[in-house]
Amino acid sequence: MVDARAAAATLRLERVRKSYGAGTPLEVEVLHGIDLTLQRGEFAALIGPSGSGKSTLLNVIGLLDPPSGGKLYLEGQDTGALDEGEATRLRGRSIGFIFQYHHLLPAFTALENVMMPMLAARGALDDAMSEAAAALLQRVGLTPWRNQKASEISGGQQQRVAIARALAMQPALVLADEPSGNLDTENADAVFDLMRDVNQASGTTFLIVTHDPRLAHRCDRIVELVDGRIVSDAPNREVVRRG
Amino acid sequence: MNPFRRFETIVAFRFMREGLTQTLLIVFGVALGCGVIIFMSALLAGLQDNVVRRTLSFQAPIVILAPDQVARPLRDGSRESVTAQIQPRSQQLRSVDQWQKVQATVAGIPGVIGVTPVVTGPGFAGRGEARKSVSITGIDSSSYFDVIALPEKIVAGRHEPGPLDIIIGTELAKDLGTAVGDKMTLTSATGVASVLTVTGIFDFGNKGVNERNVYVTLRTAQNLLDLVGGATSIEVRVLDPFAAETIAQSIRADADLEVDSWIRTNAQFFSAMAAQILANTLIRFFVGLTVALGIASVLVVSVVQKSKEIGILRAMGTARAQVLRVFLVEGAFMGLVGALAGALLAWGFLLLWRGVATNADGTPMFIVVIQPSLFVIACAGATLVGILAAVIPARRAAQLDPAVAIRG
Repeated sequence: MVDARAAAATLRLERVRKSYGAGTPLEVEVLHGIDLTLQRGEFAALIGPSGSGKSTLLNVIGLLDPPSGGKLYLEGQDTGALDEGEATRLRGRSIGFIFQYHHLLPAFTALENVMMPMLAARGALDDAMSEAAAALLQRVGLTPWRNQKASEISGGQQQRVAIARALAMQPALVLADEPSGNLDTENADAVFDLMRDVNQASGTTFLIVTHDPRLAHRCDRIVELVDGRIVSDAPNREVVRRG
Repeated sequence: MNPFRRFETIVAFRFMREGLTQTLLIVFGVALGCGVIIFMSALLAGLQDNVVRRTLSFQAPIVILAPDQVARPLRDGSRESVTAQIQPRSQQLRSVDQWQKVQATVAGIPGVIGVTPVVTGPGFAGRGEARKSVSITGIDSSSYFDVIALPEKIVAGRHEPGPLDIIIGTELAKDLGTAVGDKMTLTSATGVASVLTVTGIFDFGNKGVNERNVYVTLRTAQNLLDLVGGATSIEVRVLDPFAAETIAQSIRADADLEVDSWIRTNAQFFSAMAAQILANTLIRFFVGLTVALGIASVLVVSVVQKSKEIGILRAMGTARAQVLRVFLVEGAFMGLVGALAGALLAWGFLLLWRGVATNADGTPMFIVVIQPSLFVIACAGATLVGILAAVIPARRAAQLDPAVAIRG
């Protein structure tokens, strides 16, 4: 029986498993029955050693990789029932991605990169898109660089463009895979602060994969994954106390 | 909706701009291929048109004749032939039965634009001691010029013969030493002779015709050939010379007449032309294939180079179909722009060719026909080839697993 709070959650995973090479002698199970719920507005860190399955879990949650078993609900919708096209549309509408290496499109300007999710969703360019993208760039402090090619701005600026792009479709959930892993401390803090501001201002749920304990401890909740299993999942205060 | 504001077009153009050298090289390749196809096709069309025009300048596309006379075998009561060998009958000069009616009927056939009665037979042209064998052609001036463009071929005098006039070719005039205004004797094979005045000299650009053909009025020829009131053939001009055989068959089916089309009488020429068309088609096919492979290979490389970007686009909600269309747009664009450049190139070369390939007198060796439809077809064809060539790389791009593509 699912309670009302769980049903209204942004993200709910029930015994999610992920295997590679299924049906072959080389089958490897990377995720072993993950249960995880993220409520609207949560700002959670996902930590764990390398090879623990963090990126795989993020790909599964981001509907980039289908789970091998279990249930995944996004904003109450069972994603297992969706075909590839429907999953792509839901991903574009409800999930924003921030990658470690920003992964901007180098051929496009900062403004165009931010517009791209809206352009893909609506099919054609319109003035409203340009205005919305400009507003997002202003929010991340990059208005003067809006017409610069993505490849011509600094790493910290690129990551801020990536954050603006992740927010373009006003998603319910933002998945950030080591967003500050490639930045110096000052830029890492600035990027983290920006995500925090967005989270508090708009109630967007964030799940941030990080290796940096300092940044993890600034999140509301820390989920620890080891060998494809969640070994701890607690509000930040408890983690700090235990440490 | 403005196609240049569509997601697929924006991304495709940006991808192509990013790999500008690659894009320009393949566009240049397409341009060369397309230019060769257009140039060759125009050249071949011009060559064919030229040969057809020259052939039909002195020959009607369809000639209707009286049926051949056949020998009747002697039979006994059992209807079995009693002669061991049947010798073919020699053919006499005969008129087409009721030729006026045939002329009127044929004139009503769709596609027929000129019908004229003609009396043709052998004879001798003489002046002084000189005598040359000729083919006497009796014409009806009111309708003959609708079928054969004799007036265009007159190099001296006039084209309409009177009852005592004769029009001869340049070669015969040279052989007999005659000029416009001179008298000469025309004698039929049966010995009937008439003294006629040369009122015109023609040049069909064919030595045999210029030497052999002489034109007199229909009535004069009827008298000379002892065929009063008759016509040995009906000559027919059709709108589409290549439809001549079809029209000839329909005439043949409706009447007991011998109907020859120029396609049948010039079978060797047509077989050479067919071989030429086949060779041209093969060249076009292989050039098209090379262009397609060029576009496909560039796009395959592009898909590999852009796999991370494709993964990012897919992660942010771009559908597989949209990714597919991005690469189809690239293929179509390369095909179209390459074809337009190729068309310009071919047009320039054709103009150059016109200036270079000339006869000794400075006139074009043959008229190169620059048909707008050829350019339109080539451009549309190259665009289609571009799209088809892009299908495999585009499908490959659309099938990319975004998670794998992003990881690189």
